[in-house]
Amino acid sequence: MSEPLFAGVDAGSSATKCVLVDAAGRCLGHGIAPSGFDYAIAADQALNRALDAAGAKRDRIERCVSTGYGRERVEQATRRVTEITCHARGAFEWYPQARTIVDIGGQDTKVIRLNAHGHTADYRMNAKCAAGTGTFLESIAVRLALPLSEIDGLAMRSTGRLVMNSYCTVFTSTEVLERIKEGQPHEEIAMGLFRAIASRVAEMMSARDGAVAATGGVVTHCRAMVKALEEVLGVGVLLPPLPQHAGAFGAALLAMKPDDAEPAPRSLSLEVIRPC
Amino acid sequence: MPEAAVKRVEIKSAERLRALMRDYFLDLDAAAASDERRVAWCTSVGPCEILSAFGFATYFPENHGALLGARRLSHELIPRAAGIGYCPESCSYMNSDIGCALSGRSPLRDVYGIEGPPKPDLLVYSTNQCREVQDWFEFFGRREGVPSLGIRPPRHLGEVTPEHVALVRRELVDLIGQIEGRFGLVLDSDRLEEAVRLSSRASALWGEVLATARARPAPLTFWDGAVHMAPVVLMRGSRAAIDYYETLLSEMCQRVTSGAGAVPRERWRIYWEGMPIWPRLRELSEKFQSLRASVVASTYCNSWAFAPYAGGDPLEWMARTSIEIFINRDEVTKQAFLVDMVRRFEIDGVIFHNARTCPNNTNSRFGMPQRLREGLELPVLVIDGDLSDLRFFSTAQTMTNLEAFVEQLEGGAR
Ligand code: SF4
Repeated sequence: MSEPLFAGVDAGSSATKCVLVDAAGRCLGHGIAPSGFDYAIAADQALNRALDAAGAKRDRIERCVSTGYGRERVEQATRRVTEITCHARGAFEWYPQARTIVDIGGQDTKVIRLNAHGHTADYRMNAKCAAGTGTFLESIAVRLALPLSEIDGLAMRSTGRLVMNSYCTVFTSTEVLERIKEGQPHEEIAMGLFRAIASRVAEMMSARDGAVAATGGVVTHCRAMVKALEEVLGVGVLLPPLPQHAGAFGAALLAMKPDDAEPAPRSLSLEVIRPC
Repeated sequence: MPEAAVKRVEIKSAERLRALMRDYFLDLDAAAASDERRVAWCTSVGPCEILSAFGFATYFPENHGALLGARRLSHELIPRAAGIGYCPESCSYMNSDIGCALSGRSPLRDVYGIEGPPKPDLLVYSTNQCREVQDWFEFFGRREGVPSLGIRPPRHLGEVTPEHVALVRRELVDLIGQIEGRFGLVLDSDRLEEAVRLSSRASALWGEVLATARARPAPLTFWDGAVHMAPVVLMRGSRAAIDYYETLLSEMCQRVTSGAGAVPRERWRIYWEGMPIWPRLRELSEKFQSLRASVVASTYCNSWAFAPYAGGDPLEWMARTSIEIFINRDEVTKQAFLVDMVRRFEIDGVIFHNARTCPNNTNSRFGMPQRLREGLELPVLVIDGDLSDLRFFSTAQTMTNLEAFVEQLEGGAR
């Protein structure tokens, strides 16, 4: 009988990722598919790709944890866990020294504080506006008619200190036009956008001690994002082997454990202020 | 585990509350239509006992603001107010209520069969909660051609001193004089004392109702409290509120005895700091229930649990009460209150609601969540939202935040 596998599926706003681990928590395969209109289909595709990469059959999967925006739609899931817990779990497995996880996704940005056991001590998500997320970059890229990879390439050549406003995506688009009009070099404008996101991250950090690890699609595809984070936060940023799959990896690790037994109930004091 | 502990048992008094609310609004409507009676509008922690003693039927526009929020009408109404110059990021109660007046259609028609808010003869505010109420009432004062009078107590107090109380008392005396002068009335001091006694009694009973949630499992939650607090806000100073809370208290005590929790199989006990998110009250209540998290205490519901009146000068009690309330205190006093609540209710985690249009009822803006987290070593979460305006609220993000919060609690319990 072949060894059981544990799957994690992260149904994110733009991409659905899957990671398969064995009983020792080793990553055996991973896959990705565009989320598109239907998370169920995307999850299936990502899972098949991960299975292909692992050279395994679906019936080896013992448990599956889904996470991400579309976690409720992942039919294979035996349990659903938020992306906050999953990213924390995945990143901590790679970097037990990390105390802050910065996840910059398509739709939201999260900053998660971990304690020494890897448990979430505190977390924050960006406010409602897309500013500070992958969507922010994508919308500006469309505005500039440049692929994101080119914006990243430009930004990596920057030597200046320009920072763009990050309060609102629309305001930033206007600011980009103003900077173009002023004749600012394109590489400075491009880097300014990454710095804008990094400043939003800095605002969300409740503490600055301990190592910082970055996850999510933006740091996977844009080296300039890591550079901007390092610059604005003033620390080196750890980039895991599969930053975009950190949530799925964490979900797969959580799938290794059977559903949590409930902690022992605490004392049931029927204490009431007033005698009834 | 007893049956009552695994299935949600509805609060029976809710039926009685509905009837009480209907009677209250029908009476207001009748008062507005009558030549013999007068209607006053008052702010929720304003000097309503004086108005009762003068014989005014008293209406509270903030309750209407909450109704507009709960009925999800704010997004249609706020632009009406914005159109005449009220910033859409100011109080969404105020903007919705002004927008509602401009639109000429109130949900009070569907709920109670009355045309809308009763036409006022007088508006009375207290800025002990915020300055927005002054501007809100002045809008209606201009529109209806009636006086908008108010008191402006000292704000954000640490210790409440006899001088503060004396100052507010003088404002109340002045207010009484203005009402007497404008309406040709004379305040009956016995009636004022009676109104204060009734008010204090209703408030004390309300406090006792809320305190039953110290039991495990808690017999009621913040979501229940947000509904059942209506009489202590709207009918303070009346016998009806006292009768209602006596009944509710006895029901809560029975629930404690039988082990009937508001959240079946209660696992986590949460404190809610800030205003309710009226348009999402039901969804949030269901979410917490599914997470087996009971929101057992809140600042908001406790805002109407005043210190008791023990005889003596009723105006002094009113003055003291109006400035002692949580919203009118400094950060140090607020924090001490929150710490005490966390201990008394055996709270596992605190949620702050950052209500974008009400900085006054939002306490997450000056480092309080961080201080509580560190001081009490408790998980603390801040969620963005609003009391009425859903443009500031993301359902998906909030629900994920809440689930992650419970996962965080579970992580700590492992
Ligand atoms: S306290 Fe807040 S919600 Fe209430 S009236 Fe003032 S601004 Fe509006």
